[in-house]
Amino acid sequence: MSTETKTTTETTTGTGERGLIDRVTASPFVSKLLSNRLALAGIAIIVTMVVVAIYARLFISLDAITQSQLGTNPNRAAPSLEYLFGTDGQARSLLPRVAYGAWYAMLFGTVTVAASTTLGVGLGIIAAYYGDVTDNVIMRTMDVLLAFPSLLLALALVAIFPDDLGLWRAVAALTLVYTPRFARVVRGAALTVLENEYIDATIALGATDPRVLVRHVLPNCLAPITVQSTLNFGLAIIDLAALSFLGFGAAAGTPSWGLMLSNGVSQGLLTGVWWWSFFPGFFLALTVLGFNLLGDGMRDALDPRMREAVD
Amino acid sequence: MISSRFVLKRLLLLVPVLVGVASLVFSILHLSPGDPALTIAGERASEEFVKQVEESLGLNDPIWVQYGRFIADAAQFQFGESFIIQRNTTVREVLVNKLPVTLELAIYGQLIGVFLGIPLGILSAVKQDSITDHLTRIGALAGISVPIFWSGPLLILLFAQVLGVLPTSGRISVLYNVEAIRVTGLVTVDTLIAGEWDMFVSAVRHMILPASVIGVYSMALISRMMRSSMLEVIRQDYIRTARAKGQGAKITVLKHGFRNAMIPVITVIGIQFGGLLGGAVLTETVFAIGGIGTLLVEAIKVGDYPIVQGTVLTFAFLFTLVNLGVDITYSILDPRIEQ
Repeated sequence: MSTETKTTTETTTGTGERGLIDRVTASPFVSKLLSNRLALAGIAIIVTMVVVAIYARLFISLDAITQSQLGTNPNRAAPSLEYLFGTDGQARSLLPRVAYGAWYAMLFGTVTVAASTTLGVGLGIIAAYYGDVTDNVIMRTMDVLLAFPSLLLALALVAIFPDDLGLWRAVAALTLVYTPRFARVVRGAALTVLENEYIDATIALGATDPRVLVRHVLPNCLAPITVQSTLNFGLAIIDLAALSFLGFGAAAGTPSWGLMLSNGVSQGLLTGVWWWSFFPGFFLALTVLGFNLLGDGMRDALDPRMREAVD
Repeated sequence: MISSRFVLKRLLLLVPVLVGVASLVFSILHLSPGDPALTIAGERASEEFVKQVEESLGLNDPIWVQYGRFIADAAQFQFGESFIIQRNTTVREVLVNKLPVTLELAIYGQLIGVFLGIPLGILSAVKQDSITDHLTRIGALAGISVPIFWSGPLLILLFAQVLGVLPTSGRISVLYNVEAIRVTGLVTVDTLIAGEWDMFVSAVRHMILPASVIGVYSMALISRMMRSSMLEVIRQDYIRTARAKGQGAKITVLKHGFRNAMIPVITVIGIQFGGLLGGAVLTETVFAIGGIGTLLVEAIKVGDYPIVQGTVLTFAFLFTLVNLGVDITYSILDPRIEQ
């Protein structure tokens, strides 16, 4: 999805006569990406998980899969034709719960990545454009945030937010943790863009600062931003699950993958109930793999040195 | 080869970052909901007692006085006493006790990552587009995609439950008393120093699963970086020159390619040490190992602020030191960087 937004913006700045699809496929970036089988596999995985997520959100009742089913379903049943992924300690079938987990992962992952991208891009562009003190204040603050191992900073930050925010506090903490990475990448890219003469020309024509930044600098920094966002998506999904796994995310009973895994480890491991850990973890890993495959493919397609190496 | 001025400059540059780090930790804990005095005194304590506790913690002082005191204490690695987890024990003592546990795990994980990741990356680059290359690349991608808190439980189920060959939790069999022979706090080292062979074997057996889980992740990252860096280096002119003058392929790659390709790899090793420390929190939780990772999680849950402050700062300090080491290693590998 993000691929298309990127290329359309890139091509609209060029000649704009041809149809949208032609323009997208004619872009060397997209054709390079689409000829990469691993990247295609990544796209396929992501699309599948998005479909599962939307299906779960629309057709699975959250109440039905959150409440205990003791008495109705067999308790701790191993996977069978009737209960494909087995049932948990409260006799809830795991299949719809794992499917609903996809919705949580996609929803909260998207919000985290969107928020940290927006914040990071804003700070990075401002730091690059204004330079001097502004640059120093912003980037030194980012350095401090980067001095912490990311999951640990997230753990410390989670403590600020009240418990009843549930997964949202994990989203807030991770947004702050990821922002510096975007700020760094964007600042670097923006500094290169700012050296171009068309920027000087725009400023000479009397364009306001916001106009220069939003209309001219930002569109030319989209490539590295998109790659960073995609790679960060996988990380966000893992970290959100990790925070839930450690008990700082989803509220008890919520069908989030991290929480299901935590349940599988604390109660299922020693009793040999493997399916509690296996299924949520498998879909978590698969989703992350999808984003990493796509992100890798995008980076290869964008990096001219890599292009040389492959051709 | 490496000037002390360069190292000194780097050390001085660390000071503002560390002050920033300490300030951030201070602000985080002051923004946190929950009253430390109430946490210590207990919900049912009389108002007077809570006031007394507040006074003794200096919570009534103006915020900047508290801040100054915190920074001064942090500089001396003093974080007061634990509120709840180990009452009447200084945070410093608790950390000294538990830090080696986490470090040992991180070190073995890092060793696995470095000693498997680097050769795999080189192999993958030298044999670009071969089956070996594809398998290594896909394996590495899988390695960074699989969360520790999934691979850990699966390994426990397989090796411990099904095959019954490795222990599932802890650092050493409960039959042994490691505290009695404590020297460094690293069980695999202490047992060797004491010459207790059986204990050493038990410690190593306990280390295999957690270290592998954490090591696979860094192995994946390192081999990816090693591959792309090596691919770039072996296309350089000086490599062609070396080959043209008749030097063998192996020697060229190892002698000329390796050193230059290592520079970006060292960065990744440094950066992912942070991931390793984060991974240690998860690994310790999965394998029930009592290091500072599990300590931090528990401290946040119960509101033991001094422990949280001490642990988070220690982690950040360690990470910063490792990155300093990376900078210095850099300048040894490529003396031009110093200028």
